[in-house]
Amino acid sequence: METVIGLGCPSARECTAPLPAAPIWQDVLAQAVTGELVAAMNYSALAEVCEDPEEVSEALEHAEVERGHAAAFAAEGRAIGVEVADNTDAIHWKRLRESFMRCIAERDFIGCLIVQEIMLESFAVASYARVGKVAPGSMGGTFAAIAAEEGEHVDHAMDILRAERARDRQRFDEKMHRLHLDVMTTLARMLAKECRDGHCEVCHADCVKPALFDISLSAAELRGASLQQYLKTLDRLGLPGEVTLQWVAQLPV
Amino acid sequence: MGGAVAGVDFALIGHQESWRAAADVLAVLRGKERTPLPESEIRDILPWIPPRVVCHVEVRSIGGANAHGVYVDSFIPPGRLDAVWTHDNLARVRAAAECAIQAGAGIVSLGGFSSILIEGNFDQLPERRATVFTTGNTLTVAFIVQGVRKMCALEGRDLRRSTLLLVGATGDVGSGCARCLAQEVRRVLLYARNVERLRRLAAELEAESVEVEIATDLQQLHARADIVICAASLASPSLLLGRIAPDALICDAGYPKNLAPGADLPEATVFFGGLGQVAGGMAFSPDFRGVLNRHPFPDVAHGCLLEGMTLALEGRFEPFSRGRGFITPRRVDEIGAIAARHGIHLAPFHNAAGPIEELSACGARGAIQ
Repeated sequence: METVIGLGCPSARECTAPLPAAPIWQDVLAQAVTGELVAAMNYSALAEVCEDPEEVSEALEHAEVERGHAAAFAAEGRAIGVEVADNTDAIHWKRLRESFMRCIAERDFIGCLIVQEIMLESFAVASYARVGKVAPGSMGGTFAAIAAEEGEHVDHAMDILRAERARDRQRFDEKMHRLHLDVMTTLARMLAKECRDGHCEVCHADCVKPALFDISLSAAELRGASLQQYLKTLDRLGLPGEVTLQWVAQLPV
Repeated sequence: MGGAVAGVDFALIGHQESWRAAADVLAVLRGKERTPLPESEIRDILPWIPPRVVCHVEVRSIGGANAHGVYVDSFIPPGRLDAVWTHDNLARVRAAAECAIQAGAGIVSLGGFSSILIEGNFDQLPERRATVFTTGNTLTVAFIVQGVRKMCALEGRDLRRSTLLLVGATGDVGSGCARCLAQEVRRVLLYARNVERLRRLAAELEAESVEVEIATDLQQLHARADIVICAASLASPSLLLGRIAPDALICDAGYPKNLAPGADLPEATVFFGGLGQVAGGMAFSPDFRGVLNRHPFPDVAHGCLLEGMTLALEGRFEPFSRGRGFITPRRVDEIGAIAARHGIHLAPFHNAAGPIEELSACGARGAIQ
């Protein structure tokens, strides 16, 4: 797989012009960098449980790609004059990481793919695509390009997961539901219009969500787009639409 | 779009006509143990839901036959029915149609606004092999016409001496009602936005010796209607004020309803038209009874949806209602007879305030509550 964002992005990209909304973008980028680093950690862990050498190689490659994405987002922060922090131990991201690591502990390759490629990537693809439409300058292009690349990750996993579902539909759907309850509940809390679990530990000051309107975004839009992408991904897997609709309708808001 | 369901007889494509109705659907999906979502959340969430199968529907004929189908919601947001959203709404109906095809439906009914969007755009439906589509408008017309006749009889009105106003006259339902009732009334008033279509329909009726007046603005009409059929695609709460006889009989067959609750028509008799009742019963899984069909009587649904079920029970998988302007009295009688054979009849009368027939002694007069 080729990456559109190279790891060799400048470490101190020149700051072109200060943005009035820079503190908001700082937090948006911090969430993105953290998500990419969590994804990189997940793929690295996945490589350790893969049995097929080709799968090991692919997982390691994906981990590199995700680190490249994190670096690209961090560079976009520097370009607008802000230092983008990351915190993979932040409340929600830590929970998401723990969910993934439970699959690793069970050496559940399919479970790992479901968590990373179906759930977390749905969120990434949809939210990056929305952010890409409104982000200023090169940042918009970076978000859009990374959204497209994450979409390719989903496509790649889809073939494996469809084949797995074809082998035992009921078992697959039960696993999907179990992981949905675990992972998507955390994601739904993270995506809620208001953070009800206290500070997310990624935003540099107060919660960025109310300020998203200043950059033509909203927490509701990012949540809606993410859950829509998730439902469409489940549709592509062949899960019954009436069942997945119920799953999503039962998530916390 | 939803996953495959092995071969169903019919699919019903619909959407919710109000945020309250949408909230009730989501409340069922969330389950009784979870707090229903506030309307502000519903407004944020619903527009993002892709069209999909929401539940399974079983309908029983009095002749003993059963038909199994699915209800597909296009999730057109209730606040987005106007022209500016047409492109988006067409895409939603197309996606819902894909769901119906994927479900293996033999016949698909296009409910409510879906049928209005598609009646002139059948070519925009997705490619399909074994699935046929019907707007369901012919059975809707059948129930509207039956309703007007029955209500006139109940109220002792003489249809032959009446002036009939059709709101949304050039639509498929409006023009079908005009063709069916024109010969039974003294005069027909046609009201719609498109003057060319109005002229064509008027010429067609005049050729049958019907007295016709047309208008693109109700203020232009000289005659005063005492029977009104509202079959427009959008609600116009104050549309009729001062333009009809105070004690007029009004059949509101719009979806969403053309006359908003609170419309100030104190002397008029208002009833909801185009609805049928399934004597053999309908079952939903999950249980959406009274939620997807929000009527004060059991097993009531809109004629457009019932047409698909009727044809499935009859084993006639054909696009019975297709395109705009092809509904004739003969076709209306035909679908009415098929429906009756399976125990699908005109629903008991009601309006926003509740059932009417029980109150027929004092009429259904007064503002819609």
